[in-house]
Amino acid sequence: MTAPAANSGLPAESALSPPGILRRALNPIPVFLAPALVIYAAFIVYPVLRTFYNSVHVIKPRNVAEFVGFANFATLLQTDPVFWKAVGNTAIFAVVGTAADVVGGLLLALCLFVRVPLARVWRVVWFTPVLMSYVVVGIIWVWIYDYDWGVANIVLHWLGLGAYEQSWLGNPKTALWAVLVTHLWKWLGFNMIISLAALYAIPTEVLGAAELDNCGWLAKLVYVIVPMLRPTLVNLLVLSFIGKMMIFDLVWIMTGGGPLWSTETVSTYVYKRAFDWNTFDLGYPSAIAVLWSLIILLFVALMTQLLSQRDKLEF
Amino acid sequence: MTLWLAYIRRTPLLLFVLLYTIATGGPFVWVAVMSVRTTPEIFGNPYALPSRFHWDKFTDAWTSSSYGTYFWNSTIVVVTAVALVTVVGAMAAHCLARYRFRGRRLVRFLILSGMVLPPQLLILSLFQIMVDYRLYNTLTGLIIVYVATQLAMTVYILEGFFAQIPQDLFDAARMDGYSDFEIFWRITLPIGVAAIFTTVTLNFIILWNEFLYAVVLMTEDSKRTLPLGIMHFMGGHQLDVGMIATGLMIAILPVILIYAFFSETMIKGMTAGAVR
Repeated sequence: MTAPAANSGLPAESALSPPGILRRALNPIPVFLAPALVIYAAFIVYPVLRTFYNSVHVIKPRNVAEFVGFANFATLLQTDPVFWKAVGNTAIFAVVGTAADVVGGLLLALCLFVRVPLARVWRVVWFTPVLMSYVVVGIIWVWIYDYDWGVANIVLHWLGLGAYEQSWLGNPKTALWAVLVTHLWKWLGFNMIISLAALYAIPTEVLGAAELDNCGWLAKLVYVIVPMLRPTLVNLLVLSFIGKMMIFDLVWIMTGGGPLWSTETVSTYVYKRAFDWNTFDLGYPSAIAVLWSLIILLFVALMTQLLSQRDKLEF
Repeated sequence: MTLWLAYIRRTPLLLFVLLYTIATGGPFVWVAVMSVRTTPEIFGNPYALPSRFHWDKFTDAWTSSSYGTYFWNSTIVVVTAVALVTVVGAMAAHCLARYRFRGRRLVRFLILSGMVLPPQLLILSLFQIMVDYRLYNTLTGLIIVYVATQLAMTVYILEGFFAQIPQDLFDAARMDGYSDFEIFWRITLPIGVAAIFTTVTLNFIILWNEFLYAVVLMTEDSKRTLPLGIMHFMGGHQLDVGMIATGLMIAILPVILIYAFFSETMIKGMTAGAVR
């Protein structure tokens, strides 16, 4: 086991824990915490601080850093059209995607809640996409959207809507929405499962009382179910929002940000500026990452405040 | 109202349920079918059932398309990282749940804040750090990063569970002369085994699927994990749909196997905390 005390950052008087028992042996608290804290300090805290440091520097290869103050942020906000394009796209994801995620998840959960036969089976199937990697999901959907043999166009053709057949990921007008649909397809199951668990946690008397009052199903949904699920729904909103604001994998796999920046998101742009653009400067993308993270945190704080959420943010 | 009338009234609902089930499950069935068909067969008719099962495609993918290497890289990285994060996380969670000490709230806040940390704040500087420490392009480097990034969630789930174990058990154990470490080893771990199992399966799935850190920290072909390997293969062989499908199946199967046996545990694990 790792050496105690020295690197745990804990004060020595923490040995008070088992009252009345004086142990000559190792103080257990530093021993228990040291591995986690060392890993955490070295590979989470230090990198975060270093990113902040990078964001006000130009970082050349071999880690030559030149201090530039807030120049990176100024360029970013004033003269970088691609950044603003990426912000716009990410905002569409974050607003439309988050709303659709939570509403859709709740509706799916309601479908199973009203005692559909074999509900347990459907639940397991609907949850499957959540467990698959973005690479699997992304490649499958690239095929689904394929112009020549993808099932999307085949279904349209079959429904007599052949006029709408197109190369969904190749058209700058549809690419973003096509990726968004895929992202929803992957995550709806998660929102469904959580909403369903919350639905089962509603006391049956409450729903029974609503039925006695001759409450229609829509009124029951709006006035009884949604208010009772509020803490859960707020959690889902926040989780989904964070996920959409940081969306990288699926976009990277399906379109790489193209065509014509039409699916570029902030995260894919950070990656491109850091590793694909041969500028070899890690400072500028770090500035984007810092700015965007602060915006995410700000929005999350606002959302939790406005929706008067008393619980902690949870996974 | 008679039962069959109720069913008729609900036909649209049942139809929707069926359609959504096809929409979520169908694509995976499709890939499974394609994984045993050859590319010419698929281009002949992408949605036909296999006329002959080409199981040899799996051996082919394993050896000549280096999916075998990717699979072992993924296995080594994920199994090691999950084992480490479970041990390290359980120790920290036990400590936070059982001891009151100065700085406890700070430590707890620090570790749990990792759950909402945007990965963009980490990847660029992690890349630099890995290069500095010669861990870039090594499985060891990726393992360490995975342990660090999964620590917050692991500690969160385990601490919540460990805190519910009755204090009496610990007092009794202390009366019997158990040391602090024996208490962790012989009381907390055996009682918390269900929660530990939840974090193990969750971490396994998350890391098996992980893409962002791997794509930044791994560029050598012999070090690629499965998701990266499939992407790489796709880049070079866009049109070899049959072989890509076989590769996808190799990535999907372990997840499906775990899910088939432990679906309830996993669903509970993912639900943990979000419902209060």
